[in-house]
Amino acid sequence: MIYAGGLPIGEGPSALFRGVAMPGSIKRRLLFWAFVGPLVFAFFVVVVIPFLWGIYYSFTEWNGIVRSQVEWVGLQNYIDLFDDEQFIYSFWFTVRFAVVSVILINGIGFALALMVTQPLRSSNALRTVFFMPNLIGGLILGFVWQFIFIQVFSALADVLNLDFLRGWLSTPETGFWGLVILMTWQMAGYTMVIYIAALQSIPGELLEAAEIDGSTLWSKTRHIIIPLVAPAFTINMFLMLSNAFKLYDQNLSLTNGGPFNSTQMLAMNIYNTAFQFDKMGYAQAKAVIFFMVVATVSIIQVRMNKRREVEY
Amino acid sequence: MKSKKSIALLVALVVMCVPALWAGGAQEAEESGAGEKVEVDIFQFKVEFKDQFTDLAEEYMQENPNVDLSIKTVGGGDDYGAALRSRFASGEEPAIFNVGGPQDVADWLQFLAPLNELEVTEKAFDGVLGGVTMDGNVYGLPYNQEGYGLIYNKEMFSEAGIDPAGITSFAKLEEAVEKLDSMKDELGLEAVIAFPAKETWVTGLHLSNAVLSQEFDNVNEAFNADSVEFKYNKGFQKLVDLQNGYSVQPTLSLDYSQQVEQLFAGEKVALIQQGNWAYGSIAGVNSDLAGKIGFIPLSVEDGVGDSIPVGVPMYWGVNKQLEEDVVAEAKKFLNWMYTSETGKRYVLEEFKFIPAYEGYDVSKVSDPLARDILDFSARGKTLPWVFMGYPTGWGQNVLGIDIQKYVADKMSWEELIAHSTEEWESARQ
Amino acid sequence: MTGKKRFILFLEVIGITIGIVFFFPFYIMLINSFKTKPQIFQNTLNLPGGLEWSNYVKAFERLEFLQAFANSMFITVGSILLLILFASMAGWKLVRTKSTLSSVIFFMFVSAILIPFQSVMLPLITLMGKIGFLNRLGLIFMYLGFGSSLSLFLYHGFVKSVPKELDEAAIIDGCSEFQLFRKVIFPILNPITLTVIILLTIWIWNDYLLPSLVINKEGMQTIPLQMFFFFGEYTKQWHLALAGLTLAIIPVIIFYFAAQKYIIRGVTQGAIK
Repeated sequence: MIYAGGLPIGEGPSALFRGVAMPGSIKRRLLFWAFVGPLVFAFFVVVVIPFLWGIYYSFTEWNGIVRSQVEWVGLQNYIDLFDDEQFIYSFWFTVRFAVVSVILINGIGFALALMVTQPLRSSNALRTVFFMPNLIGGLILGFVWQFIFIQVFSALADVLNLDFLRGWLSTPETGFWGLVILMTWQMAGYTMVIYIAALQSIPGELLEAAEIDGSTLWSKTRHIIIPLVAPAFTINMFLMLSNAFKLYDQNLSLTNGGPFNSTQMLAMNIYNTAFQFDKMGYAQAKAVIFFMVVATVSIIQVRMNKRREVEY
Repeated sequence: MKSKKSIALLVALVVMCVPALWAGGAQEAEESGAGEKVEVDIFQFKVEFKDQFTDLAEEYMQENPNVDLSIKTVGGGDDYGAALRSRFASGEEPAIFNVGGPQDVADWLQFLAPLNELEVTEKAFDGVLGGVTMDGNVYGLPYNQEGYGLIYNKEMFSEAGIDPAGITSFAKLEEAVEKLDSMKDELGLEAVIAFPAKETWVTGLHLSNAVLSQEFDNVNEAFNADSVEFKYNKGFQKLVDLQNGYSVQPTLSLDYSQQVEQLFAGEKVALIQQGNWAYGSIAGVNSDLAGKIGFIPLSVEDGVGDSIPVGVPMYWGVNKQLEEDVVAEAKKFLNWMYTSETGKRYVLEEFKFIPAYEGYDVSKVSDPLARDILDFSARGKTLPWVFMGYPTGWGQNVLGIDIQKYVADKMSWEELIAHSTEEWESARQ
Repeated sequence: MTGKKRFILFLEVIGITIGIVFFFPFYIMLINSFKTKPQIFQNTLNLPGGLEWSNYVKAFERLEFLQAFANSMFITVGSILLLILFASMAGWKLVRTKSTLSSVIFFMFVSAILIPFQSVMLPLITLMGKIGFLNRLGLIFMYLGFGSSLSLFLYHGFVKSVPKELDEAAIIDGCSEFQLFRKVIFPILNPITLTVIILLTIWIWNDYLLPSLVINKEGMQTIPLQMFFFFGEYTKQWHLALAGLTLAIIPVIIFYFAAQKYIIRGVTQGAIK
């Protein structure tokens, strides 16, 4: 920071408004709020108030119709959660999905990054193709892949005589892998871009030196590249993990939770509790738990990130 | 330089939006400029007849220049309830909206105007108003009547030598299915039946209704029941087994369109459980076939074997919280739609509805599925629709899901019955 | 051929193969969108016999594509303009004001990144309904709230690297704070503004859940909303659905090719910052 240790805090601006009739501190405060106020206002109305209000809601029962009764039920919603098989199932399904997809997305993304940073003639074209799905909305991609899994896979099964390509999305297993494939396809390009940035920041001399030493590509990768892209790895992990936990659009358009709610993830479980069973308070209790899980996962991630940064 | 460029880009984007905003603004101006006109907002769910319904509204507005009807359609079953709530929450309450049965009436009671004094209410058939009557007040007017059962391919049945009229019990139904199965190759069938277990409304609502309508006499009885007994437990299981066992597999990914358009209309199966609403889809793909189809009953072992469930899919309700003249005009329009000559013509010929009201010349009904339903009704061989009296979400999200688990071998039939009963009871506590 | 060259060639082949696999879904979507319904049922892998443009005509009409496009555009651009303006202002002011209040405010925005949308959606919609905000303008306001954390965070980080002497020099020249911000600071923030634009565009343009809860009137739907209704209404009318999906994807692809460099850079910066 270039300016660290400059003027004492707050003195700068007040000194600058000397000579203005209004007392400096009031004017300064007004200016502060003029700049910060609009964003803070929107933030409070849209995020903070609903968040706090939601905690209150989670102790009530309400059917979602305006002007109808909101009933205080205390902790009942939270107690019911522990008996809710579908909720518990969705929770573990989401965890399972998050772990598998995060590993695959990062593994493939990293491999792609290694590949396209080699002097390939097709390098730019490949980057373009790999990254493209990332820009398109999850809802739309889910519909496209529904077509692939159901219609195209069964056509391929006929041509290639491969039975495992039949009946996709009709069993919990194929539903799970369908979601994983969709997300890997969509997000691998994203992690690739970030890994490319990390790879390009590795000083060339380091690699040349290794080459002169006669290191193989593998040992180069292991001893130089992997340690240096570790921060990028943490970033990708964090982004993909929280992304996987919050996933809704792709879930909705690809499987809509089917078959028999076996691919219903947490976000969808909350949505359906609210809008198909008309239990707003109960859904909100789930949402509060959902927040706690996502926040915990994220905080653990950030902690690990910090520790790493110290190590390197 | 760069900042200029990005500003120019932003300006360009804003300019692109202007026509849209302008159009929106113009629309709003037009609406508010209507002045003395009474605005009646209609928020309805039936996507299939949106265009014809709009035509009818146009005609009405020509006859009644003081009224401005605007129709909003939100399709796709599940979404309607959420959309309606959101609509009310946003303060733009519609004058006319849809209610499905007793649960909706109870939920929306504070908004629903009694419709007893209307002419159309008196013309409604016996029994069709039960689900929307509370303490003697009628809160909804039926759209129409619909029926479902097993739709069969007439040519294939005659080729196999099966008399559809003879199917009056589960044993006969099973026999017919086995016969068809043994002749699959001659008939060019992939399987006998297409059973769309993916569509929880087909299994959890309609199929279960064939069984539960013999346990509950009407929708209100189901609505008020603290528990469900599954009196025809075995019959229910056999019906599921029969449909699933002789179906094109995998049934878990089989959806409405594959069932109706790809498999039945493509003459790859001879039998599907569907309703008369499927006629349009079948005719759209295979018009030859469309004239040669009909209904056979969804027979339940030890129970009724010769009837098909006929009921009202949705009702019109009027929002009483709006201004008096809006409420009055809303009622007037609904009354007109089902009692005036123009309205009747639309109902019968354009909407292709099976009317739920007296005073219609039903001989004009031409589609064979609707004709069959009228025929079953005339012979008194119908069962009621009680699924609108199930606990909220139970039919599709509990029973329908459990049936999926059952056909996937993830749940035994005993578990299915126990779990569904338990969920019903806990919802009705 | 040396081993190295051979290896590169090998990689090239592998790479192109994977590239084809990645591109395959788009290819399949495209070729089937030109088929009739029976053709799709018969064979999904073949090239179409002829070009069935009527699919596109019908999808275009049923999606009310121009209207939906304009709505998406309006909401995206409107939200981004407001977010850029207010977040850059707040980011600059928060960095330049060293006080407990300033730190607390910043900390609150940053911690809110942890709040998933689903845990505020129900009360939010109820609240917005009460103040008459369940419409397009209300939606823009909500994006302002939900986008505030990320945008502020990025601006805050960037402003820290801008030397404070610049501000002071301008003030001495007699600029007011607003002039200073508009003429001096905002232009300096350009690189990060571009990043913010890119990230917000990808998010807001594609967002489904929030608009689905807010927009309840015909004629106001965005592209994802129309696509969802369209898909529900024409379940498994794949010939129409695929044409509709292709239509929905085209604007994004155009955006991608027009601004690829910036997009990649924006995404990278957004993640690493």
